[in-house]
Amino acid sequence: MLARFWGTRGSLPTPVTSPEIKTKLVDALLAANGRRFADADEARGFVESELDFAVSHTYGGDSSCVELDLGEGEFMVLDMGSGLRRLGIDALRRFGEGRAKTFNIFMSHLHWDHIMGFPFFTPAFIPGVKLNFFGGHDQIEQALRRQQEKISFPVPLDFMNAERTFTALTCGVTQEINGCRIELIKQYHDNDSYGYRIEQNGKILVYSTDSEHKGDDAAAEDAFVEFFRDADLVIFDTMYSLGDSITMKADWGHSSGMIAVDLCHRAGAKRLAMFHHDPLYDDKTLDGLLDETRRYEALMRRDHALEILCASDGLEISL
Amino acid sequence: MDWRSEDRGNAIVAAPVGAVDHDSAEDFEKNLTAAMRQAAAAGTPLVVDLGGVEYMSSVGLRALMRVAKEAKTGSVRVAVANLNETMLEIFQISRFDKIFPVHTSVDAAVAG
Repeated sequence: MLARFWGTRGSLPTPVTSPEIKTKLVDALLAANGRRFADADEARGFVESELDFAVSHTYGGDSSCVELDLGEGEFMVLDMGSGLRRLGIDALRRFGEGRAKTFNIFMSHLHWDHIMGFPFFTPAFIPGVKLNFFGGHDQIEQALRRQQEKISFPVPLDFMNAERTFTALTCGVTQEINGCRIELIKQYHDNDSYGYRIEQNGKILVYSTDSEHKGDDAAAEDAFVEFFRDADLVIFDTMYSLGDSITMKADWGHSSGMIAVDLCHRAGAKRLAMFHHDPLYDDKTLDGLLDETRRYEALMRRDHALEILCASDGLEISL
Repeated sequence: MDWRSEDRGNAIVAAPVGAVDHDSAEDFEKNLTAAMRQAAAAGTPLVVDLGGVEYMSSVGLRALMRVAKEAKTGSVRVAVANLNETMLEIFQISRFDKIFPVHTSVDAAVAG
């Protein structure tokens, strides 16, 4: 099982800008301090091992889209933010390798940043492709159809030739889909959102984004701890600082790295991927938030260490 | 959790002792709410002496914020004091140091 991140930004795609790239280049040249490299491999080694992530990379700008690659068979996709466009292009390559032309797509919710990639999802235009949509909401088709009404987009949903099915899932009912056990949990977010727990061959991935945790309902928090129980990877909405999330951004439906750490510690989860990054944050800020979240984890650690990483577009995590 | 609360005349000083985490947060919030309402009735500030708190998880911090929000509706000034190094780091990471006046002593917190 491989988690592949196609989009990690929250709310709105956030492309890296030319001034930001120029700053990265200047920082890299200063770090090199006049060093000479014999060839591209040696230069690449310097970039990979000696530069901070924020200098040598970018966390990326596409909105939420995560693929769960089972290695063969049908595709498994979580949300259809703008990152879905590049997944679609890569899927065409994998069709050529014999991959099944079926996508099982699980929606956390139907806000714009989680559906905006679909009109640009090339496989949706191809006859013979099958798209199975799942979610806690029963309005998935309505949301996609409305997004492609003439006033907003030139190509209506019915112009897309792929076969579509829409299935509303129920919390508390475990589903078997494409060889995976799927559970979902309702989350606090405007018009609700849903988290997913996906198990296959003894590995557990939890996808919990666009979820606010007020902490005033112990039973509700306990339910999340059980939902996260023993997960190999928890992908969690860490959009804001704790302070922001409960003051000026209270009821905006998002959470923080500190809450993620506390829930994962209680649940015995192994790895946490910080996700749904604030468009206001540049790469250095996200590097700093990762350092702070790791430090908080170290301060609060009691029995087992939680590995923490900050999800970036293009990142792959093997479970 | 162990708890001390003192009416100094010019402030209510509440002093929790121990770790504030999932196991103790409910007790922490209940005691802190009582102290805050005592301060509201007396028309004095509430000073939370955190000198005895080993650490505080996000559950405890969110409880502290809820009490502070209720205090604001009653025009009760809330300040914290005596944070150990761990608590200072936690306040920085959570940005609570931007929200609460953090004082090095109870006397300084009372003086505001």
